[in-house]
Amino acid sequence: MTQRAVTFTKEQIAGYAEASGDINLIHLDDDYARKAGLPGVIAHGMLQMGILATVAAEAAGGGERLRRLHCRFAGMVVPGDTVTFSAEPAGPGKLDLRATNQRGEPVLTKSTAEYS
Amino acid sequence: MTEAGHVAAVAGRTYPPVTFEIDADRAAEFARAIGADPAAGVPPTFAAVYSLGITAPQLFGDADAAVDFTRLLHAEQEFVWVRHPRAGEKVTSRGHVASDVSRRGMRFVTFETETVDGAGEPLCHSTALFVIRS
Repeated sequence: MTQRAVTFTKEQIAGYAEASGDINLIHLDDDYARKAGLPGVIAHGMLQMGILATVAAEAAGGGERLRRLHCRFAGMVVPGDTVTFSAEPAGPGKLDLRATNQRGEPVLTKSTAEYS
Repeated sequence: MTEAGHVAAVAGRTYPPVTFEIDADRAAEFARAIGADPAAGVPPTFAAVYSLGITAPQLFGDADAAVDFTRLLHAEQEFVWVRHPRAGEKVTSRGHVASDVSRRGMRFVTFETETVDGAGEPLCHSTALFVIRS
């Protein structure tokens, strides 16, 4: 199994917003996020998927080999959360992917990759 | 008939193609942001930018689609790659609303994006499921 644990920070989330161009304020501004009914800023689902893809790429023997990546954003990730991302072989050219927070709750579900 | 709270379904709508150059510095910055090695080339999920990222704003800005951005959740995402683009390549992405249905006070929009290379050959297909709470 290939895995990587990441403790999320506001700086990291802001860095992803800048790099991706996804500057929705729910990822950047605590007051705005609270008005939207959230506990404060949350990490982008696509940031989580990006980190998951780095783990999948390692397990697949290189990112250029990835042919398909799918995930469902099942739970919120807030600054301070530690999420463990993992990839496990699931047959030829297939990986089962998981992302679980420090309380053991899945934050990404139905996550799979295929590679060639 | 339009009334308050009524959702305008835009299933089947296709937006104009958007061309984007895969900038090496931008791809490297993206790699660092997800903890990938910038020297390993364009990260696969840079598709969040060159495929989904340059087309989804067309949906969000479409007055007929009436997507309330503050109630929007990105619920599911899939990328399928025929080939990964290299830095310096120009790609063209076209977004399409595959389905738009409301049930039990929630609206589900499946937004697909087809990205091709400079020769028109397919690179990446993105499928995003957005849920809009009412």
